[in-house]
Amino acid sequence: MNHPLPNDQKRPPSVLIAEDDQALRELLSFALCRAGFSVACCNNGKRLLEMLESGIDDASTAVDIVITDLRMPALSGLEVLEALFDRPERPPVICMTAFGDAKTHQAAIRFGATHTIDKPFDIDEMIELVRAVYNYNNSDKE
Amino acid sequence: MRLTIRITAAVTLGIILIFSLYSYLAIQRERQQLKKNLSREARNLGGSLLFIVTDLWETRGEDVAINFLRRRNLLSSNLQARWVWIDAEIGTPFRPLVPQSELSSLSDGKPLSLLVTSDDGHDFLLTYLPTTNLLGRLGGIEVRESMDELHDYVQESLRRSAMVVAAAVGSALLLMTLLGSIWINRPVRRLREQAERIGTGDFSTALDIGGRDELGKLAGSIERLRGQLAAAKEADDEAAREQIETLEKLRHTERLATLGQLSAGMAHELGTPLNVISGRAKLIASEELTPAETTHSARIIGEQAERMTHIMRQLLDYARRGEIRKQPVMVAELLANVVEMLHPILTKQRIEIELNLPLEALQVRADIGQLQQVLLNLAMNGIQAMGRGGTLRFDLSLHPEDENQLRISISDEGCGIAADHLPHIFDPFFTTKEVGQGTGLGLSIAQGIVSEHGGKIEIDSSPGRGSCFRLSLPLDFGEDDG
Repeated sequence: MNHPLPNDQKRPPSVLIAEDDQALRELLSFALCRAGFSVACCNNGKRLLEMLESGIDDASTAVDIVITDLRMPALSGLEVLEALFDRPERPPVICMTAFGDAKTHQAAIRFGATHTIDKPFDIDEMIELVRAVYNYNNSDKE
Repeated sequence: MRLTIRITAAVTLGIILIFSLYSYLAIQRERQQLKKNLSREARNLGGSLLFIVTDLWETRGEDVAINFLRRRNLLSSNLQARWVWIDAEIGTPFRPLVPQSELSSLSDGKPLSLLVTSDDGHDFLLTYLPTTNLLGRLGGIEVRESMDELHDYVQESLRRSAMVVAAAVGSALLLMTLLGSIWINRPVRRLREQAERIGTGDFSTALDIGGRDELGKLAGSIERLRGQLAAAKEADDEAAREQIETLEKLRHTERLATLGQLSAGMAHELGTPLNVISGRAKLIASEELTPAETTHSARIIGEQAERMTHIMRQLLDYARRGEIRKQPVMVAELLANVVEMLHPILTKQRIEIELNLPLEALQVRADIGQLQQVLLNLAMNGIQAMGRGGTLRFDLSLHPEDENQLRISISDEGCGIAADHLPHIFDPFFTTKEVGQGTGLGLSIAQGIVSEHGGKIEIDSSPGRGSCFRLSLPLDFGEDDG
């Protein structure tokens, strides 16, 4: 389960996690680290947008995948997606919702989310999803 | 009773009048009859005496005849006869007892009867039987009859009449009292009692005084009236009961609606800890963690489980329904709790919260679930009024004007309430929200709950700047004082 990524990238793929709940943030961060990702975290939408914008502009802090909660203080996940909507360089975004209804999922997809996932989710499934999204995205670029 | 007395008086008076009139006429008639009898008797006697005296006078002379009359008078003191010359001078022995002028009709030869009263007050009947056969001079027999017997008789009749009248009046009074009581007083009293009962709103007792008289008909009318009133009251009670039931149901519905709104937030609150628990559990299960990491994960699982328990308890506290169960409530704790419950919604709507608590611990006796509902409801109103964000402020303090009360102010920076809406905001079903957005019951229910706790809700609002709900509740100095 805890295999290194099946590609020969020079730096490990980086994941940016935006989640206001500390415990979940720590869990995701810990599990993704163990799965071989480099992880950065923030706890609100505003900070997420700032980090993404600097990453888009500066390749050294570039983010490969974003995992964001939809409900967050300052800016919500949807608002961040909306702000990034017309930026083609934006990384793939996985949105987490708590017992979200179909409407919430549809809204997230419409605003450009790559995937949506309901809380509570299986942590292994999340890692698999991150991995799949990363692989798909990278093979796509090549 | 007065009615009976009046009727009795009228009837008695009638009886007295009729009896008196009857008695008067009867006595008059008897008196006439008696006088006629006496007069006839006197004339018969006088006629016989005149015949004898005339005969004696002619055969044996004047003296024998006069003496015969005197001797005859000794036989009967009641009926005295004597010889008179009608034209005799005053002072002569044969002068009539009445003046000559009253006897002028005697010259026709017809007998005459007269009633006279003597100087000492006795009544007499004088009967004259004239003759001109002696000496060619107008003379005659004068029969004097005492009327005392007649007087006695009349007296007796009067006494008897009086007794009859008294007896009649007595029995009339007795009968009227008895029958008046049975026919009038008793039914009237029962009618009055029934009317008074109906007046006090007691429609339960039926009244049947029987009979087909006016009172019976009146009782029938009252009975129908009672029936109609009872039916109206029954319908009224039924409507009130239905209204209470409906309100109770709506109250429950409103509670469920608020619960639904909160549940969305709760789902978020529960989803996250569940996620952490399942994730940490998997990590431990993978057996790839260091002992320190395993311990850390296990501790986090414990914390998250506790967090979920706490969330569930809040939800259940809120959803619990039933009779008011008052208990001492630390208001500061309750407010902190409410703020925590609102947190997900506040985050979503970008609303900041400010909670100002006093240094002293303020306690009330309240149903914690209901009080929580009120606070949540007032807060939700504030939140809904702040569509573009802002600060929702909770202030808890002693009431500035009453040291036995506390005050909770919930102020928002929302759209405020229009002045013409202010008087109606606590009315059931009054809402300014769009159809489907609010039942218009929230504030009404909140008001009801606060009233049940002996408090009140006041509101200050300026359109465009925000509203402030001020809730006063009596402080509980109970058990914790000792």
